[in-house]
Amino acid sequence: MSLLRYTLRRFAQAIPVLIGIVTITFFLANQIPGDPVDIMLGPTPAQEQVEAIRARYGLDRPIHVRYFAYLSSVATGDLGLSIYYDRPVLEMIILRLPVTLLLMLSAFAFAIITAIPLGVISAKRRNEPADHVSRIISLIGVSTPSFWIGLVLIIVFAFYLGWFPARGLVLPWADPTNVRGAATQFQVIRQSMHHLFLPMIGLGTLQMAQITRIERSSMVDSLQGEYVKLARAYGVPESTIVRKHAFQVAQLPVITIIGLGLSTALGGAVLTETVFGIQGMGRLIITAINNQDYQLIMGTTLVFGFVYVVGVIITDITYSYLDPRVTYGDE
Amino acid sequence: MSEPLLSVRDLKTQFFTEDGTVRAVDGISFDVHEGEIVGLVGESGAGKSVATSSILRLVDSPGEIVGGEIEFKGETIFGLEEGDDGELRPRDEMLTEEEMRKRIRGREIAIIFQDPMESLNPVFTVGGQLREFIEINRDLGAEEAKEEAIDMLREVGIPAPESRYDEYPHQFSGGMRQRVLIAMALACQPDLIIADEPTTALDVTVEGEILEMVTELQDKYDTSFIWVTHDMSVVAEICDRVNVMYLGEIIEQAEVDDLFHDTKHPYTSALLDSMPRPDRTVDELRPIQGVMPEAIDPPAGCRFHSRCPEAREVCREVHPEPRELSDEGEAPHTAACVKHDAFGVGYDESPPIETEATGGFSAGFTETGGEAE
Repeated sequence: MSLLRYTLRRFAQAIPVLIGIVTITFFLANQIPGDPVDIMLGPTPAQEQVEAIRARYGLDRPIHVRYFAYLSSVATGDLGLSIYYDRPVLEMIILRLPVTLLLMLSAFAFAIITAIPLGVISAKRRNEPADHVSRIISLIGVSTPSFWIGLVLIIVFAFYLGWFPARGLVLPWADPTNVRGAATQFQVIRQSMHHLFLPMIGLGTLQMAQITRIERSSMVDSLQGEYVKLARAYGVPESTIVRKHAFQVAQLPVITIIGLGLSTALGGAVLTETVFGIQGMGRLIITAINNQDYQLIMGTTLVFGFVYVVGVIITDITYSYLDPRVTYGDE
Repeated sequence: MSEPLLSVRDLKTQFFTEDGTVRAVDGISFDVHEGEIVGLVGESGAGKSVATSSILRLVDSPGEIVGGEIEFKGETIFGLEEGDDGELRPRDEMLTEEEMRKRIRGREIAIIFQDPMESLNPVFTVGGQLREFIEINRDLGAEEAKEEAIDMLREVGIPAPESRYDEYPHQFSGGMRQRVLIAMALACQPDLIIADEPTTALDVTVEGEILEMVTELQDKYDTSFIWVTHDMSVVAEICDRVNVMYLGEIIEQAEVDDLFHDTKHPYTSALLDSMPRPDRTVDELRPIQGVMPEAIDPPAGCRFHSRCPEAREVCREVHPEPRELSDEGEAPHTAACVKHDAFGVGYDESPPIETEATGGFSAGFTETGGEAE
């Protein structure tokens, strides 16, 4: 019960944050010189045409009127109409968001599955060769931009080796009849995984490196804890100490880094989607900005902000689950 | 006297650091007999905790036991011999790491740590941690171990143990946590418990309760204790015999009454003089002058000479090994100080030296208060 109340309260607290995001994005987007109509109609448009389109999208009203109109429509769940696509913004987002979430989810799965064992081994074998290897990998990982990793992956694995496709993405839930070379849903999923592999590594490497680093330092600390000494003094096997006694305590900072990593990964997704030609939220936001599609810029930014807020809330809830000292704030 | 339960001979543990070799424990010998509480006393940095972790062979890197012998109930916890190539190597009968873990740690020798706030794992329930140790060291099933754990919590005076079993360490006060740690040690039914300054972090009233409880439980279970402390009043309260450590060496060893009333080493006297007592005012307190030198490069001669109010020239040159100083028929009492005639190195003829304690020649002649006569 307290968990539900806590979650609801956190979402309520997120509302001012989201209003802030809308406000800042709204005024920033409107500060860009020119407007979408100029882009739409080319260099020498007819004056009546311009005014007709402005009126259609409500751009002829003063900026503060538009601002409050936008706020109230967002409150009812209406994100407006995309000028560029000429479709409701929400519809575009519903189409694209699952693609980005799929990419992020696989990137994080890759990052967590590789980083946690790597970090633990590194901490356990501190200053031994295994530790050096893992530290070099993670140092390279945190200092290499994700788009560059993506390009190198394409050159090596798609271009030279031809193991993986370089562009596009087959969605695992796509209808088999629409997917070339697939007869069953299972084959669609296989194709999807094949496509996802390179972008997953491209986007996940930075996360993997960051999680490895924090996992290592956190485990190093935890392995020096008095409770670890106590467990050793009572004959607890070393493997149990690492897996149970030291591990659980050490995961608190790791969870925080994973949660914060969500926001960097959203940024990274924009680049990764561009490199791999994936039609996700990242591409959508770039198209929106390039075409000064106000409604789409605000809609996508708002969704990014929302995903981030959800990430933080999930982090906090995991925290209180892992550490009994953290409570939901109920007196 | 019967075979001792634990016998430590000439134990040496060193830390190999970048600054040099720290001789944290430098050749100490002592015994613990069945049912005895043996004190290990000294200032911070004297090597008490290193000595106790050496007994469990749990010295953290870069530390290492480099010499000596530790025997426990006829088994060799540590012992070296000279191999064919002239290098020292572990003796065949020395317990392996696996045997130490399975047969000695927890099961035969349990430890109570100094800091009850840090010693319990914050993310597991108190009961769960206690149960885990009981399961490992007494070969009990989960259910039996849980019952045993609850009984033990009750035994150490934790109210409502059934409900507190499922609580987390942060829900316990410092004194209660220390009781839990004591319950852990007792619940494994070891023959020897090493208590490493278990009451230092607690306030005095709680300390009193804990000491009283330990004395009671010690009578009941007849467990032997090594009680590590820097507090002479705790020693007086519970110990049977006492070893006084200074800079990695045991400098005096005696039964508790002898130590207090027939003190033989100036360092012990100094420790006793620095202890606040109700019958003395603050002005009469005499803290030990100076700080303990580094164990990396201990002073030549007697290691205490730089702070000793009774130091003479000879103390700089002669390094005294502990000697038996008791008369025939008395309980054993050893000390390592050349002022006793038994050493025969000409202490009486040697001129006093300037030390941090004497502050100069003139002061040295009048300052004789170090002796507890």
